[in-house]
Amino acid sequence: MSRPRTALAILLRLGLGGLLLVAGALKLRDPAGFAVEIANYQLLPALAPYLAAALPVTEIVLGLGLASFPRAWRRPAALGVGLLLLIFALSVASAYLRGINIACGCFGGGGDAIGPLTLLRNLGLLIAVAALWALDRPARPPLAAGPAS
Amino acid sequence: MNRSPSNALGQFPPTWVLWARAALLLGAGVLLGFAVNRVHPHGVRFTSFAAPTACALPSGQAGPAAAPAVEVLSLAQVAGLCGDPRALVADARGPQRFAEGHITGAIHLPCASSGVAASAALDQLAGKETLVVYGDGTDDALLVAEELRRRSDRPELRVAVLGGGFAAWSQAGLACSSGPCAGCAVHP
Repeated sequence: MSRPRTALAILLRLGLGGLLLVAGALKLRDPAGFAVEIANYQLLPALAPYLAAALPVTEIVLGLGLASFPRAWRRPAALGVGLLLLIFALSVASAYLRGINIACGCFGGGGDAIGPLTLLRNLGLLIAVAALWALDRPARPPLAAGPAS
Repeated sequence: MNRSPSNALGQFPPTWVLWARAALLLGAGVLLGFAVNRVHPHGVRFTSFAAPTACALPSGQAGPAAAPAVEVLSLAQVAGLCGDPRALVADARGPQRFAEGHITGAIHLPCASSGVAASAALDQLAGKETLVVYGDGTDDALLVAEELRRRSDRPELRVAVLGGGFAAWSQAGLACSSGPCAGCAVHP
């Protein structure tokens, strides 16, 4: 991988990993409050307490994985982050399209109501994960020599 | 199963290894999350968790203790408040009933609506002096009115319910309007 691509991949890894660490830590301060934020989305209210317990630490684990784990675990972490961000983006889009005026809950309690900017931010994060996935691809092994003709 | 080629350094693992490791990371996060939640002082309690609604106040959010009690107003008193810019009328019935007919100018705030909707209703109270809640009868409106009374941080706000509810209002032939509920997407 060329030097600029390597630098960009490192930047994306640290940026996304750090963002997940911060978001997870902020949510972890008040899981009960976060459960209310999830319930407000009116998607799967029965699952809200379980998601509120699991999501903050999952974000921290994936953030750590992305930022600091060995390469063999970084791509799996990026895959997990991509899935998580996709679910977040769909949830926010669903609430926005249904006209539900709620706080995002993306960084713990409170915050601004979800709107076009929240949707754009989620889209940007998804693009960043996709870019990291493409940039941090391991080197393809050399092709085995074919049978001599 | 996609068998990707693997070199000697293990840099190009098969796809199933990638998915398995991702699942392991997610699973570890979930299990660790449940463990942390168990010992967290503000951890969420699975069995007793209930999302706040307009009729269920989360603990520790009680409003001013000195706030006056909710009043029960007569039809004539509420009719006198209609059109008054200092008064807000809220309908505590379901969306179907609201669409069939409601007091002109009333906002929709059913008991089952989320705490967010209740907070949004409180925002609409800025500059108002009186809030009148009505339901099918008196009791269902009292539930919502008392909740809003507790949530409001304005003890000077007069909170009241319509005695007899919409049934009495309708029977008396007082002003009504009907149509789709604009806010029902927020609190179906």
